Amino acid sequence: MENIIECRNLTHYYGKRKIYENLSFSVPKGRILGLLGKNGTGKTTTINILSGYLKPRSGECLIFGENTMTAPPAMRKKIGLLIEGHVQYQFMNIEQIERFYSKFYPNQWHRDAYYELMAKLQVAPRQVISRMSCGQRSQVALGLILAQNPELLILDDFSIGLDPGYRRLFVEYLRDYARTFNKTVFLTSHIIQDMERLIDDCIIMDYGGILTQKPIAQLMQTFHRFTFQLPENFKLNIDDKQLLHPAVIGKKGELYSFLTQNNVEQLLKKYNVPFSNLVTENMNLEDVFIGLTGKY
Amino acid sequence: MFNIFYKEYLKTRWYSILMLIAFLCFTTYALMRINYILTMKGADHLWNFLIMKDVVLVEILEFVPLVGGIILALVQFMPEMYHKSLKLTLHLPFSPWKMINVMLIYGALVMLIVCAINLIVMLLYLHRILPIELYSRIVLTTIPWHLAGLAGYFLTSWICIEPAWRRRIANIIIASLFMFIYFLSTSAEAYNSFLPLLTIATLLTSTFSWLSVARFKEGKE
Repeated sequence: MENIIECRNLTHYYGKRKIYENLSFSVPKGRILGLLGKNGTGKTTTINILSGYLKPRSGECLIFGENTMTAPPAMRKKIGLLIEGHVQYQFMNIEQIERFYSKFYPNQWHRDAYYELMAKLQVAPRQVISRMSCGQRSQVALGLILAQNPELLILDDFSIGLDPGYRRLFVEYLRDYARTFNKTVFLTSHIIQDMERLIDDCIIMDYGGILTQKPIAQLMQTFHRFTFQLPENFKLNIDDKQLLHPAVIGKKGELYSFLTQNNVEQLLKKYNVPFSNLVTENMNLEDVFIGLTGKY
Repeated sequence: MFNIFYKEYLKTRWYSILMLIAFLCFTTYALMRINYILTMKGADHLWNFLIMKDVVLVEILEFVPLVGGIILALVQFMPEMYHKSLKLTLHLPFSPWKMINVMLIYGALVMLIVCAINLIVMLLYLHRILPIELYSRIVLTTIPWHLAGLAGYFLTSWICIEPAWRRRIANIIIASLFMFIYFLSTSAEAYNSFLPLLTIATLLTSTFSWLSVARFKEGKE
């Protein structure tokens, strides 16, 4: 399948602080990919590199085969960009901003898509964006991106500041649009429940690099939480890369793994853990995320 | 290009009108001073004053274009730097260099129009009461002040777009030192022979913003 985004060996530092090293990933056409990670793992850094607003220390990012740092106008025409906080021109109202943007995208501008979404907002046509709520601003930003009808959408933390209603509206509109028109989407969000409803693939980042990149269905089928009973005051000290974040709460032990129950059982025996009642639990995406990155 | 002008117009329309009114108020005040001398002491006294005292009687206008230019740049570029929304502008399918040039051309045109109206008002009054030698002396003396307004606009734009605060402070110091060139002498027509060079230097300050845009695009902080 054709890759719309291709990042190779990205390394970036802020001063002496390493954000990541040799980060490589690709996004195939028509997929919705979510970039998940705790604060400070480099999500916005990656978005900035992708949108051509940050020069990585080394490595390169290609979108539609062209380097993002030298993106020509024709390439940017095919990319819809949502900046963190749904930033838009604060001094414009919804009519002025539509008039302004539409001139840059002749032959591809979907005015109706924009006004269909605007009709759902309780705003006066002449109300300037600076006087709108964060939720209303998010819809203006989304409406402009949908009207632009880009091939690739890059959305930085689209759920920030949104109440559950606006988040749901945003997710449903975006999902329907991307599926119907076979669009590629690259997005980040702090609210992982929203991602579960939206994304096909995910990249989970930790400090310094990628923990995993998988289709979300595969990730949720193969990554499990294992719980088991332990004797009182037992200290669970396991150092095994296949058994993630082992912890004990009271008499209950838990750990996360991509292994099957049989394999986990064997490993626990190997480490002389006096466990009983080993149970495999399926998880939602948020628990998968915590299982991979840890609670702290 | 006109579409970019439209965005700049939306940002600056009220300030542009306010700037024009403020310029005209200062000019009217300066002209009323001249009119007062003319009415109270007569034309010979006024002529004598202008020729012998090395004054132009419109000194009150000296820093008006500079302040106007600085505020215009702030009004135009501060909204672009709000939450880095310049990213939206530079993401549009238009060359970033052309984009910044068009934005600066818009601001420069506003400055030129306001300054031109100001000068025309001044000329309309002065040519009725003074010979060409005297009113051209007044107008030529104000030209460096108007150029200072344009340079103030370009340099403030450069400072606003700069993404890093430390560099921004350095830019403010450089810009302040540069602006001294326009106010080295208060004598009438002191800059006459220097005007072509000063005009070129003023226009060159518009290119400084390219550096800020390049740094913004590289993600300097």
